[in-house]
Formats: sequence, structure tokens, C-alpha cells
Amino acid sequence: MPHAAPPPPPGRPTRRTLLAGALGLAGATTLTGCGTFSRDARVREWNLFGGGDGARLLQIHDKFVAEHKDIAFEAYTLAWGPPFYTKLAMSAAGGRAPEVATLHLSRLKGFSPTTMLDPIPVDLLAKAGITEQDFIPDTWSRCQVDGQLYAVPLDSHPFVLYYNTEICQQAGLLGPDGRIKTVKGVDAFLDMLRAVKEVTGKFGASVETTNPWRLWWTLYGQLEGKFFDESGTQLIIDDAKAIEALELMAKLAADGLTPKSSDYPSLVAQFTNGDAGLSFNGEWEVTTYQTAKMPFSMAPFPVVYDVPKFAGDAHTFVMPHQADRSTKDTEATVEYIAWMLKNSAEWAAGGHIPAYQPVVASPEYLNLKPQAEYRSVAPDVLFDPDAWFSGSGAQLQNEAGAAFSGVYAGRMTPKAALDQFKAATRKLLDTPSPV
Amino acid sequence: MAVQTPTRTGTTEPQPTRQPPRNGPPWTEKWGGLFFVAPFGVLFAFFLLWPTFSGLWNSFFNTSLAGVQQEFLGLANWREMFGDPAVWDSLQNTLVFTAMSTPPLVIIALVMALLANRKGLLGWFLRFSYFAPFVMPATVVTLIWVWIYQPGFGLVNGLLTAGGSAEIDWLNTENRAMLAVVITTVWWTVGFNFLLYLAALQGIPDQVYEAAAIDGASGRQQLFRITLPLMSRTTGLIVVLQLVASLKIFDQIYLMTDGGPNYATRPIIQYIYENGFTSYRIGYASAISYMFFLVIVIVSIAQFRLFGGRKEAN
Amino acid sequence: MATLTLSSRASRASRFSRGSGPVQPRFTFAKVAITVGSVLLALLWLVPLLWAIDTSLKPEPETTQTPITWLPGAPTIDAYRNVLDQGSILRWFLNSTIVACLVTTLTLVVSTLAAYGFSRTTFPGRRVLFGILIAGILVPPQVLIVPLFQEMTGLGLVDTYWGIVLPQVVAPVMVFVLKKFFDGVSRDYEDAARVDGATRLRIVWSVMVPMSRPVLGAVAIFTFIGAWNNFLWPFIVTTDPAMMTIPVGLANVQGSYGLRYAQIMASAVLGGLPLLVVFALFQRQVVRGVGDAGIKG
Repeated sequence: MPHAAPPPPPGRPTRRTLLAGALGLAGATTLTGCGTFSRDARVREWNLFGGGDGARLLQIHDKFVAEHKDIAFEAYTLAWGPPFYTKLAMSAAGGRAPEVATLHLSRLKGFSPTTMLDPIPVDLLAKAGITEQDFIPDTWSRCQVDGQLYAVPLDSHPFVLYYNTEICQQAGLLGPDGRIKTVKGVDAFLDMLRAVKEVTGKFGASVETTNPWRLWWTLYGQLEGKFFDESGTQLIIDDAKAIEALELMAKLAADGLTPKSSDYPSLVAQFTNGDAGLSFNGEWEVTTYQTAKMPFSMAPFPVVYDVPKFAGDAHTFVMPHQADRSTKDTEATVEYIAWMLKNSAEWAAGGHIPAYQPVVASPEYLNLKPQAEYRSVAPDVLFDPDAWFSGSGAQLQNEAGAAFSGVYAGRMTPKAALDQFKAATRKLLDTPSPV
Repeated sequence: MAVQTPTRTGTTEPQPTRQPPRNGPPWTEKWGGLFFVAPFGVLFAFFLLWPTFSGLWNSFFNTSLAGVQQEFLGLANWREMFGDPAVWDSLQNTLVFTAMSTPPLVIIALVMALLANRKGLLGWFLRFSYFAPFVMPATVVTLIWVWIYQPGFGLVNGLLTAGGSAEIDWLNTENRAMLAVVITTVWWTVGFNFLLYLAALQGIPDQVYEAAAIDGASGRQQLFRITLPLMSRTTGLIVVLQLVASLKIFDQIYLMTDGGPNYATRPIIQYIYENGFTSYRIGYASAISYMFFLVIVIVSIAQFRLFGGRKEAN
Repeated sequence: MATLTLSSRASRASRFSRGSGPVQPRFTFAKVAITVGSVLLALLWLVPLLWAIDTSLKPEPETTQTPITWLPGAPTIDAYRNVLDQGSILRWFLNSTIVACLVTTLTLVVSTLAAYGFSRTTFPGRRVLFGILIAGILVPPQVLIVPLFQEMTGLGLVDTYWGIVLPQVVAPVMVFVLKKFFDGVSRDYEDAARVDGATRLRIVWSVMVPMSRPVLGAVAIFTFIGAWNNFLWPFIVTTDPAMMTIPVGLANVQGSYGLRYAQIMASAVLGGLPLLVVFALFQRQVVRGVGDAGIKG
């Protein structure tokens, strides 16, 4: 039993005790609720990092707290995706938002930065030692809206290939250096999966069938498919390419090379327990597999089609809108952001490729294995289409998930799934933008 | 808000905010009652009337959560709603859930009440078991059931595979997910109806049964000729309450399937939530809310009619 | 929470003095079968809870083993320790307690006063106001979440206790139930008190409240359970995890546990435990509360 005051028994003698208790508690909370006692600057940070990432962030935060005794720091992890973003938006609308939050770069424009975020003071950031020159120019410019800086990039995170080194060794897929041999083309890709399936007896690779966007967007991108036209108002999806990618996904499931139905926890579990020797996923589960002490490594996702493109996104820090933001808290917040970037080698241990270039060049990062194995793909990260309903965990991905997961399960033909997805996307395009 | 603080003993005069004279001037006699109604009235006006009307107002604007400039749209939100299949699909999901969940929630509750209407430790144990899930929050219930439905190592599938059958991915299969939610809901909330039935059963005077026993009625006859007929009005009440409660489904589905797979379980309230908060579209969400509000009012009024009619007939 | 309809009859002890069921013959095969069936049904109803407790006591790797095991091979309370250490669960307990107590208290006070006002006083517009109140019963709180959230942002009540509590206090059905009950209370007591010079406020306190203890008890019990377990509104109006109640906090922050099923089940058990214990201890009062209030069928 926890030590918090248990609720009074709702039995007979409640009336008076309840009254007294409730009024007492209410009194107590008005006192603590205002919290004007703390002289320290306050930084509350919200993030959406679960699993291994979450654990890693916790350690980094502990270090930050130890080095910053003068900052009252609290971090919260909320459930990834729509729950996180909905809460963040509601908190910004409510005026009591946290001082700083993580945000996927792909969602910045759809978040209505001018009303829901406060601009990040570039001068304070420079004072803390972070300037434009420290980033890839394209990344930096994606963080600007109406000439103001609204986000500071922390990393980028492409879709990659995880492989179980023992299983792949048995399957004869490893090269003499112990790394997985690069495969190129559909046939080689399928051969690789079949070889692994042969060894595991179950699956070749674990995938998240409930969220098939990343794999599809990677394959479609590798086919050089386009999504919106220049103006961002017309859907110009290439049916033939889209269906080719979907058919490959259907084939994987139909041949038992991947599960027909599997959610995110199952994706992780199947790779951990050896049901699958490969896993197609973002690079953020490194910590989980290291903790599980399993033999694994990572590599860029195979170039199955024509060009190297890998679905991905970048985590950034933003300052959600507060009704009355205190200068002191803002200074502490900027200090937090700067500190996190400078210490992002540790963050990179969780799998992400740092955005802050001085860290990318540091030996501390380069020595990370397997985290530095796929850093070459950073320039080929394929962001989601640009629209207010697009981005990590946003509606467009959900629509893709709803339509495409049926393809894995064999419930829906690629053509029907694509039609459903296109209809849903058109509907979103027709919807007046709320931002 | 003026909350009266009771004094320790509860017998002395509580400190009133005003001191009405014993046989006061006519205005206290005339208006004094308003003071009693006022605290509730103010809250009612602020947190029920106001949002009811501001919701209607918003439904004619493109109001956004992001607080960007809003424009008058006339009936555009309403027109969009009527042409939006997702509205009708989610309304249908809500109705399907209601239709699937109400019968077991009534019948099982009645069976449980008949079984648990006994004294002693066994009675206590039965009542505890049947009602216990009801006192737990939705989140706890769904955490447990998502784990139970888990493919691979969940309890249900563990038993299925142990029994030699194929595994079912309950929450990710379109025509199973709603069933899974209904099973969870029945487990969770049947206790409340059970309690209502139990109270009604315990309200039947023993003399009725004693008289029947003297007349030589068997246990079965007592059940079908006395108990169940006497339960019919309670059943009416429970059905009414249950239908309206089921129509408001959101918690379990949001927490268990998030409306999936492929929106096969998304209820209308979740669609309202997603539009209003996830997509910032307060105006559009208000229009859908209003449409659903009308559905509930119609169902309620129809029930009151039916219900009232039956009462007069009795 | 479903609404309760309670009758105005002040029926009390007689209903439960005996509490026996139908008169049944001593020993029959049917009776044994019924008893066995009732216990099996009870066990079926308990299995999910037991399975949750069982899982929470397993070491993490054991939770995902196939075929499933019933009893933990090496029972451990690590999962509970982790949940209590890392999470904000104690804070959410506190929030839930504060919220449920405030909602219950305010609902009782405000509804009792209003019910008395509608039942015993006359003032211009009383009928109209009561009509509006009845109409309010038809408004499901669920359809108000969007405008209500907007209003809360305007009032600055998002992420505050009052923001969570106040809308839940508006329960017209409770006023209706209490008013019907007060209507049935004889005016004699009140008149006697008035002759003694009691103010009307005092009459409410020392005449009406004691007379309607059972119905107030039922209102209190179900308001408390409802407020403790309410998910949707607290879920909408709290964004700051430090302000969340147990159901909302568990729903939002579960992601951080990742794959740890033992930990998830431990937090579920902790979240469900308080009211379960309360119910186990006060079962008789809860069951009686409903019965005492007199369910009108």
C-alpha cells in the first residue's frame, strides 16, 4: 500500500470526516499548489521517449540535475504519438505548458508554432554556445518559421536494420568482418529474409504491422515516389510505385518472412526472443537489446529498390507557449537545451545520430558500436510529406496504418489499401487547415 | 463559492452567510429560496449551460485549438459532418457497442443477483467477486485486459494454444476487437447492474415466498412466477440506464484499441476528441458533439416515453 | 457513471432486516449445482485480477515465457518497488484523493441546498429553473468536453484541481433525486423546528440531513467512486502529469514502462487497490446504500 492518504471509507460516518478532510486537503493544496517558495528556476521537460530511449534519457537527466543544483528540473514521459502531441497542444492552449518539450521536426509546421510555441531566443542560445554553424543547414532551416527559431534539433533517426549476429552467422549472412553483408535489390533482400527464417524457424524479420508507414515510406522513397506537388495541395502519389511497395510488404507476410500481425511491443519481443533474426525499425531500441544482453548489431536498411532513402525524422526541443513565461525559467531552459546538445554523444548511445555536428565528429560518438554503424545515412533521411496533418504519429501516418496493416494481414489487397489511403489523404487535404 | 463549514459538534448554529430574521420581511420569504439554489445554479450555469451554448456557437465557426483567427463558416461544419463517412462509421461503432454490450450486461447481472442473494460468508464472497471490478478505474481494467489479450504470452491465447486452437490477435483483428472490448466491459461494469438487481431482490418481502411455499410452489415456480415478474420494472430501469451509459462509450476503447484496427472500434466520442484536440478543430468537433447530443436526447426521450408508459400500465 | 434513480420513500430497516432469499427446500441437487455454479462464476470474475497480481509478482523475463506459467517461479516485489520509485504514482494517489473528496463534499453540499430550495421554498422562477435543471439531466458531460476545455483555458483552470472538480460537481440528477426524497419527508418536523426559531439553513442541517442519511450516503458513495474512477474529464483537463489523477496518469505514462509487463501489472494493481480494499471492508454499506435509497423500478 502506498503511503498517500487512503480515501476515506465511503461508509456511514463519512459526512463530517469527509468535509473536514476535504477542506483540509484543499487548504493544503492551495499552499503547495502555488509553489512560490522555490527560488530556483524551474524546468519541466516533456518527452515521448519510452523503452530503452526513456531509460537512457533518465540517466542523462540525472547527470544534468547533478550539474545544475540551481535548476528545479522535472521530466515526464508521455505515451508516444498522438497522446503526447495532443496533450502538448492542449497544455499550450491551457497556458500552463511545460518549459520545454521534445517535438518531431516533421510536426513543427502542423503544430501551429506561432500560437502554440514560444520562439527560442537565439541570443541566449548563442550565449550558451549553440549557433547555426553547428548544424546541417537544411536541418536548421527546417526549424525556422516566419524568420523565428522555434525548434532546436537534437538528432535524426532513420529507419534501420537490426540483426541478430548469432542467427545471421548461422544463416551465412555475415561478412568476414562480422558485419552483415550489404544486400541490394529485391531478390537479395528476400533471400536474406528466407535464410534467416530458415534458422529461426519462425520469422525472418520482426515488423510493426500496426504501423506500417515507416517501411512503406522507405520503400516508396527508394522507388523515388513523390507525394505532394510543389504547392503541397495536390496528391501526386504514383500508384504503380506505391503498389509495388505494398505488394512487397504483402509478400513478406504471406511467405511468413514477417508476422502478419504484430504491434510494437511484439516487434521488440520477437527480435529479443529470437523468433526473428532481423528487425526493421527505427534505431531507438539499441538500449533495450543491449540490456537484454543479446548478440546483435545494426546496419543501414537495405537499398531494396533504386536509391538510398530511409524514412526518418528528427527530435527537436521546443518551448511550448506559456501564458506568462518567466525570464529566469527561460534562461534555465535554454541552458538545458544547450547542455543536452553538447552531451548528445550519450544520447547517441540510444541509437540516434546527433544533430549537433561537433559531437558527430567526436571520438566519443565514433567509437559507439553499433550506433555509429549507420551514421552515413543521415543525409538520406526521408522526412514525412509536408502538411499540417503529417509527421510522426500524426493523422497521415495513422491513415496509412489503418489502410496498410490490412495488407500484412492479407485482409486487403494492395490496391484496395492504397485507394483507402488516398481517399483518406484527399479528405485531409480538403479539410480546412486549423493552423 | 460559499461552502458552509460545519462546526465540530454539528449541533450548534452553522455560520450562515446571511442572517434571515425569524419571521423576516416579505422579501426573504419571497426570494430566500433562491439562496439555496444559487450555489448549484451558478455552477450549473458555468459548467453546463455555458459550454452547451458555446459549443453550439463554435459549431458555426472554424474555431481552432491553436487559437488562430476564427471565421464564421455558417453551416459549413454541419455540411462537412453529413458528408464525412468517419462520423457515421464511428456513430455506428457506438451503436454496435451498445447493442452488443447491453443484453449481457442486463442478463448476467440478473443471474448474478439471483446467485448472490444469500447470507453468510459465501454471499459476501460472491458479492465481492461480482462487484469488485466495478470499483476499479478504466485504466486499470484495460491495462489488465490488454495484457490478457496479448498474443503469444497473454492468458487467453495461452489457454487457446494450450487447448490446441489457433491464437487470436483479439485487439488487432477487425471483427474481434469490438467483441474483446465488450467482454472487458461486461466484466468491468456488470457489477453496477448486479447491485441494482440485488437491491430489488432483497426488497421482495419474505412473506411473498412464505405464502408461495405454503401453497406448494417449487423453487423453480417461485423463480419464474414471483421473482422474475417482480424484477420486470427493475429490468426496465437497468436497460434505460445501460443504454444511455453504453452510448457514451469512450474510455475502454480509447485505452484498449485506440479505436483500431482500421477504426473498426472508434466510437463517436473518440472522433470528437480527435477532431477537437488532436487536429485542433474545435468548431468541427462541436458540430459532431451536437449531432451526437441530439441522438442521445432522442434515445432518452424515447425511453422515458416507453418507461413512463409502462409505469402507467402497471 | 450511470445515474441512480432513487425513490422518495424513506423506507429503511424493514427491507434488510432479514436479507434472506427465496425460501428454498433444504437439500437438493439443484441447490448444490447452483452453489457450485455461483462459485465458478465468481472465480471466473476473479481470474483477471488474480492473473494481474500473479504477473506483477513475476520477475520480468518470466512474464513473457511460453507456455504460460501460473505461479511465479521466483516471486519478487521488484516490480512494485520500481513503480513506486520511478513513477509519480504516489502523487496521482494524492490527486485522486483530493479530487474525489472535493467532488463528493461539494456535490453533497450544493445538491442538498438546491434540493431543499426546490422542494421547500417558493421564489419567482422556481418552476422554470427546475425545468432547466431537468433538461440538464439530458446533457451528457461527454459531449461537452470540447467547449468545456475551451472555457477552462479561458478561466485559466486547465491543470488545476478546481478545473478537474467543478464540472463534476454539476450533477443535476443528484439534485433531482434529493428533491424527490425531500418532497416525501413530512413537513411536521420542519414546522416544529421553525416554531423553535430555527433558520431554514439550520433546518436543512439538523432536520433534512439526518432524515435523509441513507440517500445522502448512496449519493456520496457513488459520487466518490465515480470521481475516483472518472477518466474522460480529468484526462481532458489535465496535461501536467503532476496534476493527473490515478486513471489518467496510468494511461498517459504507461509508455515509459516499455515492455515490462510485471511493472505494468504492478501499477494496475496499485491503481485498483484502494477502492477494492475499501469495498471489501464496506461492502455491506455499499450494497445497502443502493437498497436503502430504494431503487424505483
